[in-house]
Amino acid sequence: MSRSFDAVIIGAGHNGLTAAGLIAKRGRRVLVVERRDRIGGMASSEEFHAGFRSAGLLHDSSGVRQRVVDALDLTRHGLVTTAGRPDVLALTPGGGAIPLYGDEGRTVAALQTALPDDAPRYHGYRAVLARLRPVLRDFLDRPAIDLTEIETMSAWEALTRAIGVRRLGKRDMMELLRLPPMCVEDWLAEWFASGPLRAALALPAVAGSFLGPRSPGSNFNLLLDEAGSGRAVTKGGPMLIAALERAARHHGAEIQVGAPVARILAGTSGAEGVVLESGEEIRARVVAASCDPSQVFLRLLPPGIIPSALEHKTTKIRTRGTTAQVLLAVRGPVRFRGAADASWEFARLCGDVEDLERAFDPVKYRALPERPALDVHVPTEVDADLAPAGDSVVSVLAHFVPYDLDGGWNAAAKDLLAKRVIGLLEEHVSGLSGRIAGLHVSSPVDLEARYGMTGGNIHHIDHGLDQRMIRPAPGCCRYETPVRGLILCGSGSHPGGGLTCAPGSMAARTLLDHGARRL
Amino acid sequence: MAAAAGTPAKSTYDVIVVGGGHNGLTCAAYLAKAGRKVLVLERRHVVGGAAVSEELHPGFTFSVCSYIVSLFRPQIIRELELARHGLEIIPLESTFTPFPDGRSLARWADPERTRREIAAFSPKDADVYPEFGLTMSRLAHFAKHIIDRPPPDPTSFAPSDLLQLGAIGSLLRGTDRDLRFLNTKLMTMSAADFLDLWFESEHLKTPMSASGIIGTFLGVRSPGTAYVLLHHYMGEIDGAYRAWGFAKGGTGAVSEALASSAIAHGAEVVTEAPVQALRLTDGRTTGVVLENGTEIGAKVVVSSLDPHRTFFGLVGERNLDPAFVSQLRKFKLRGSSGKVNLAVDRVPEFTARPGDGMHIRGDISISPDFEYMERAYDDAKYGAFSRRPYMNIVIPTLTDPSVAPPGKHIVSIFVQYAPYHITEGPERWPEQRDAFGDAVLDTLEAYCPGLKSSILFKQVLTPWDLEKDFGLTEGNIFHGELSLEQLLFLRPTAGWSRYRTPIDRLWACGSGTHPGGGVMGAPGELAAKTLLRSGDA
Repeated sequence: MSRSFDAVIIGAGHNGLTAAGLIAKRGRRVLVVERRDRIGGMASSEEFHAGFRSAGLLHDSSGVRQRVVDALDLTRHGLVTTAGRPDVLALTPGGGAIPLYGDEGRTVAALQTALPDDAPRYHGYRAVLARLRPVLRDFLDRPAIDLTEIETMSAWEALTRAIGVRRLGKRDMMELLRLPPMCVEDWLAEWFASGPLRAALALPAVAGSFLGPRSPGSNFNLLLDEAGSGRAVTKGGPMLIAALERAARHHGAEIQVGAPVARILAGTSGAEGVVLESGEEIRARVVAASCDPSQVFLRLLPPGIIPSALEHKTTKIRTRGTTAQVLLAVRGPVRFRGAADASWEFARLCGDVEDLERAFDPVKYRALPERPALDVHVPTEVDADLAPAGDSVVSVLAHFVPYDLDGGWNAAAKDLLAKRVIGLLEEHVSGLSGRIAGLHVSSPVDLEARYGMTGGNIHHIDHGLDQRMIRPAPGCCRYETPVRGLILCGSGSHPGGGLTCAPGSMAARTLLDHGARRL
Repeated sequence: MAAAAGTPAKSTYDVIVVGGGHNGLTCAAYLAKAGRKVLVLERRHVVGGAAVSEELHPGFTFSVCSYIVSLFRPQIIRELELARHGLEIIPLESTFTPFPDGRSLARWADPERTRREIAAFSPKDADVYPEFGLTMSRLAHFAKHIIDRPPPDPTSFAPSDLLQLGAIGSLLRGTDRDLRFLNTKLMTMSAADFLDLWFESEHLKTPMSASGIIGTFLGVRSPGTAYVLLHHYMGEIDGAYRAWGFAKGGTGAVSEALASSAIAHGAEVVTEAPVQALRLTDGRTTGVVLENGTEIGAKVVVSSLDPHRTFFGLVGERNLDPAFVSQLRKFKLRGSSGKVNLAVDRVPEFTARPGDGMHIRGDISISPDFEYMERAYDDAKYGAFSRRPYMNIVIPTLTDPSVAPPGKHIVSIFVQYAPYHITEGPERWPEQRDAFGDAVLDTLEAYCPGLKSSILFKQVLTPWDLEKDFGLTEGNIFHGELSLEQLLFLRPTAGWSRYRTPIDRLWACGSGTHPGGGVMGAPGELAAKTLLRSGDA
């Protein structure tokens, strides 16, 4: 006899677990099925060298939505958050560094000596973000407006959204319209003279995307990143996953690993469950898929279930990954030469803003950049257990590394990438290469194989402006799909990728509010 | 009737229009037609601004800058009776793209012929192409609604603004989900990505995408370039009239017809009358001061110059609110293109398709593939002209022999990218002018062997020249980038998009206002109509 649940959730990443916890909390019987032998998806900790474990692929946990933390009572389940936004060290050309503290006043004080011209402007920059934050947060914390079916928006929703925007006042409303389509470099150049400062601030806006700092629309990513970021999880992704798992189990959700889904059961009445690759059928009234939309629509659903127009549009979604991960097992501590204070968990290494643009160029030609832009995470600064006593783990996300590398991702290509990454780091961390005990390179193709996201894209689908406005495709912008009872709850849905848990939580809410006929 | 040089006849007018380009003249003609006493002041010895024809070489009349009449509003032609004033548009019938591998693609006005051409590269694309055209025309219908009206103000609660927003809303409501999807995509996507939604052949997509970057400092893969693709489908929706074409006698013929219409309605058009400054009395515009010191009074001054020249030049920073100045400084001009004009002694022959020359009577696109286009852009991003540039070429003498001596031809080459801000500094452009011209001609020679030896006369215009000779700040042909954040209610700055300026009785009617650049005439027309309604003049 086949097992039967109210809801089955595909994928035990942070979004899948969030959805599971929230649905289970409402008393529904939930099963999460995970393809891999462990939960966590891109946030799971992995041993990459004997005695050394990563803290997952995604570094930044400061975007986790507070309402998820509250709704699932994650602090009770072991989640510890930092006091404020995380501090980030911007490594500048020539071995220097600019500290970007979570605390604005401290950053300005630090800039005062390093970049006296730009220091006072930092307040102005943050002030604009603070003024726009309510509307941007509203964007992040509410289901998307389906631009293709705008008249279906309820009068209440239209009114509350309009009031939120009108509260900004005329000047900021105009800014809200002007800033998102801009390129991040143009907007930052309105504020700051220093190219390295602009590059460091721009990196999160282009990271993982087919965008350089001069690509229009990248500023929208910056606005959302700045508005969405708050307190971080002290031990990052793995701690978030552990808390989500505990919360989900606490509410009665079951989680099964090593259970890849072969296909989604769907008939004329909608989704009916899933079939595992083992052959087991699991019946459910609702299926929530946290994997990327291409997987759902093109691989897991039987042919002919979704409208051909949606199928066609899904094939056109841009999912080409541009990020690789280089994990380093380092003997001893990692100290950045240019930093006054000793230890830093997060650093960005992307040179001047022109270097950042130059790093982006080769990805257009399927080539490896000479100097990829690096997002550096030293998780052992906060979690010594990840490495033998005194040693360090360094996770480097190398951006603008093409999924479809010309010539393919062979061992030589990965060696070359590692060499370039270490070479760049060596300029800022004395004696690094002599202390590397182990090394693990994951190309975008490797990431695709490990985590299952099409194209190896860390955001599931590219964060271009068009794909943030309509995500992933018309008819499924608000988690529900044309297949009754099948909803999307992963990073490929609004508001996008990153450790936010936002898609998972809003999908769950949509299901519980609108899916009452099934759940 | 022609423009006069030198000094205006009277000392006061109802309206003075600064700049005798096509927008200034359009505005002046509408105002004169409404009975206002109008004076147009043009700095150069000819009217037309960047829409100008000049005999640069004996017997050869060049469309020096703007070379194609795109999107010129049909209602302007009707309302100002431009046909009666000598305007004749010769439709552009084809786009020809030679490829380095010896193949070539011509797209014709005749759909069946186009289908066969595209089928040689991709039968699937050939089938999709007409469907694409149809969809784009439907989308263009929406865009036309936007460009023929002053921009809406989404932040206003005034009844007229709400009505206008409502009208746009109901226009949208009439469209289906697919069209709205494409509309959103069109506004936010790159030209290359947008075409990827439809087509597979890069031979087809690249020349199509190229039209998305003309005049912008963006590449075909830069988001926000897709919507310009619409421009190619906007002419056809008027049915009777094809908006893309050559003006008989050169692009200057548009300006001359406009000037003639304005004069017929009683306007005075004076050339060689450079304006030095706006005359302000207690913060209110009362006229202009010419460079020769002459003061001329007016109730209203309308500037057709770009926003930088209008405000930093005519008005002066000291007369402006600092907040407005800071907004204005954020307005991006950044010229990205140059022009090479040639007089040649024979028809250029492309090795990819020799023959009767029918295929080169329209425009010719040097755009082999996306990588070529992106590399051309990359050069410019770091402050150099493209070593292998994108080119859009026309040979107007094939359809209008009147502009050159018998048997001789004009080759007009629009070149991108030529960034105004080169690493050495824009003032060093004159030293690079020859090298730039050589890069263009060397690139073209590979497609057209013998071209160089056929040259009788050559003019190379860099962005620096466009600024110095034609008054286009930073050489931007559109008076400011046509990027999303500089369009509609944000053009040129938030709060000042409806032709009025922060200076009392100073109005703007150039391409730096809604709906932007190109030989369209819409800013001039809309400024005049808005001004007449305002009661200022």
